[in-house]
Amino acid sequence: MTAITKMFSGVPALQDVDLEVRPGEVHALIGENGAGKSTLMGVLAGRFSDYRGEISFAGESVRIDHPRRALAMGIAVIYQELSVLPNLTVAENILLGQEPAGPMPGTIDAAAIRSQAQRVLDYLQFDLPIDEPVDQLSAASQVMVEIARAIHRNAKLLVFDEPTASLGNKEVDALFAVISDLKRRGLGVIYISHRLAELPRICDRVTVLRDGRKAATCQMADCRLSDLTQLMLGRDLADVFPQRRHQTGSVILEVRDVMSPSGREISFDLHAGEILGIAGMVGSGRTEIVRAIFGADHASGTVALEGKRIASRSPGKCQRLGIYMVPEDRKRDGNITGRSILENITASVLPKFSTAGGFLRRSEQRRFAIKMIDRMRVNPPAPEREIQLLSGGNQQKVIVGRVLAGKPRVLIFDEPTQGIDVGTKAQIYRLIVDLAEQGCGIILISSEFVEITELADRILVLRDGQLIAELPGHDADEEKLYSLCLAEAAA
Amino acid sequence: MTATAVESISPKSSARAKRFRGLQQISILLLTLILAAISMLHARSIPNWFDNLLTYAAPIGIIACGMTFVMIAGGFDLSVGSITAVCGVVAVLMLKLFVGLPPWIAIPLAAGITVLVGALLGPINGILIAYVDVNPFVVTLSTMFVFRGIGLVLTSGGQSESIPKRFNDLFGFIYWGHIHPFGIPLSMPVIIYIAILAICLYLLRLTRLGHYVYATGGNAKASWLAGINVRAITAATYVISGITCAVTALIWTALSGTAQASDYQGREMIVIASVIVGGTPLSGGRGGLLLTVVGLFLLATIEQLLTQDGVNPHYRQLITGLIIVTVVALDAWFKRRKQ
Repeated sequence: MTAITKMFSGVPALQDVDLEVRPGEVHALIGENGAGKSTLMGVLAGRFSDYRGEISFAGESVRIDHPRRALAMGIAVIYQELSVLPNLTVAENILLGQEPAGPMPGTIDAAAIRSQAQRVLDYLQFDLPIDEPVDQLSAASQVMVEIARAIHRNAKLLVFDEPTASLGNKEVDALFAVISDLKRRGLGVIYISHRLAELPRICDRVTVLRDGRKAATCQMADCRLSDLTQLMLGRDLADVFPQRRHQTGSVILEVRDVMSPSGREISFDLHAGEILGIAGMVGSGRTEIVRAIFGADHASGTVALEGKRIASRSPGKCQRLGIYMVPEDRKRDGNITGRSILENITASVLPKFSTAGGFLRRSEQRRFAIKMIDRMRVNPPAPEREIQLLSGGNQQKVIVGRVLAGKPRVLIFDEPTQGIDVGTKAQIYRLIVDLAEQGCGIILISSEFVEITELADRILVLRDGQLIAELPGHDADEEKLYSLCLAEAAA
Repeated sequence: MTATAVESISPKSSARAKRFRGLQQISILLLTLILAAISMLHARSIPNWFDNLLTYAAPIGIIACGMTFVMIAGGFDLSVGSITAVCGVVAVLMLKLFVGLPPWIAIPLAAGITVLVGALLGPINGILIAYVDVNPFVVTLSTMFVFRGIGLVLTSGGQSESIPKRFNDLFGFIYWGHIHPFGIPLSMPVIIYIAILAICLYLLRLTRLGHYVYATGGNAKASWLAGINVRAITAATYVISGITCAVTALIWTALSGTAQASDYQGREMIVIASVIVGGTPLSGGRGGLLLTVVGLFLLATIEQLLTQDGVNPHYRQLITGLIIVTVVALDAWFKRRKQ
């Protein structure tokens, strides 16, 4: 790809970007949110018909103006939001758009779909149930289905757009094994990720985008992660993790025998000013347990705030008492899609701006929102902008802003930095530490264990819905958490 | 390869999910059978009872076939009542126009034109929804008025039009005709319904079109990225819906021999109710024609039972509505329990 430019309503999202991928190469593409990674891959996938620049594929100059063109050439993109069809079976998904014709006019051959799908899975040595609807599979298996689809279409270039964002560590290992295998088979791979630490494991070269331009391309072996971070940000990020005083007060939240629908009873205390990390793989019950505490799911057991038991928990009640949660799935549980930043950021605290008659004092609401937008450094600082138009990192700032608006005493962060750039991550770490120092109790869940080891005072380890260990924060490193979280290593 | 290890992380059992799904359909069937049994106890003759039930249900069922396509693809069609009314008017006007021709030419010609009109009105919805990207609810709410308006214009202000007397016998056969295979009375509407159902089953279950209808309803964006022409598929479902309306228009016009622009108001709701009660969700991607048949027969049996026992029409609507909401609420409750 040479000199690719793409404008969105007059604003350039990409400017003169070059990218080159060789067969048998895994090429990493990194950059902050909004740097243009997804747009560049969108061009490659044929999502936009109005880009400028040259693309040459397998030696031929091509113009990709429709998804079908990209597919026909052998370019397959595996998106961050999976594009499998949940209602169809594994086999039907693999053959989607390529169904062999049956004997009768217009028909498709269901038996051939199954046998061809099985052949692809055998070739890749994937063990997936071909007759199962895809929504019954784990996220990692769904990625496998997409890979199988691409291979069946004879893809020569595969693009992975943040495939590991929703995967646990074991699943990531499996995915990397697959990618190395694809590489051995001579396919080109473009790999987009926010998790810089995982890049050296599979990537040969790396291209860094910044503000819609190419910042650099270099051999993976030649560059250090700190260099990449600097290239992405355009400045040196001295300390991603802030220093902090560990000073915890009395018990603020008591959790007793809380049982989520899928787990065992769990009890623990949270102190004022403490950051309590919860480590566990996807599916270990970590999200379920905090949802149960927050009253988002029905659950048994009791939760007491400052010694007072909270009867019949619900998200509304918890928030009135000062317990707030930043949910894991921003799109589903966080954003109020289609509404402005202003409305999103004040959604939990509207009573503050209401008159006795229930009318909203708009100007006050607006003043408050602007102050919060400023504090969270939401970019663009436009109160009227609809939330879904922001980048992932800025959406997260708005959600965190909403939580802070309510004067929290206990804050639950479930994967607060998932899919956001390093700059925003640093800002959120700083904020978590500040809140703790102001005396908030904080529960932090993360798949990136380094966040937990760096920030937490105390760590709970969950596996298969059970609490299996409790460690002091200074005593834990990532290795140790991994081995505790993975059943095999512990056995 | 480690995909096996990955798989073990997903403990959800789909077999259980399927059993629950089946349970819901079976409970609806059972409810239908119980109500049918009660109703049959009062009936004078059982073959007649069946004949009445089926003949009442068949024309609605035909439209419901088209609606099932639309809803599996994730769409919605409020305009079916209006399309049916326009098609009825067109059928009568055509018969009047062809009054000089022999019946065996005039009637197929008029019927053909009627179906063509249905097939042309459908894509108006389809194009607005699939190519202009307007919400199906909004589009078909508007065309519901527009199409009925066309009917009013055609009948110069909504007067009732009657078919020429000389066609009465042959055209009426479309509704009143019966055949008796093995001594079982089968009316023409039922025969037409079975034919349409068979064609639709073929389209939905076996063809590429049907496969892509499910794909589109499951996730339109993902289908597009997989190279499927999502817009054409969406538009096609509304064409099918339009055609099924035209067929039903012929049957209902044959029943009375007249057509009026204001006919069949509210029928779209019974059609949609059949599809939903059957188990095809508003969100699309799932469901099926046979489910719709089950839903249809539940509603038809209730109607039959209430009419037969001379229940006041006001109560009829009330009871029908309550049963629909109960079935749908039970379904939601089962799903919650399942999770």
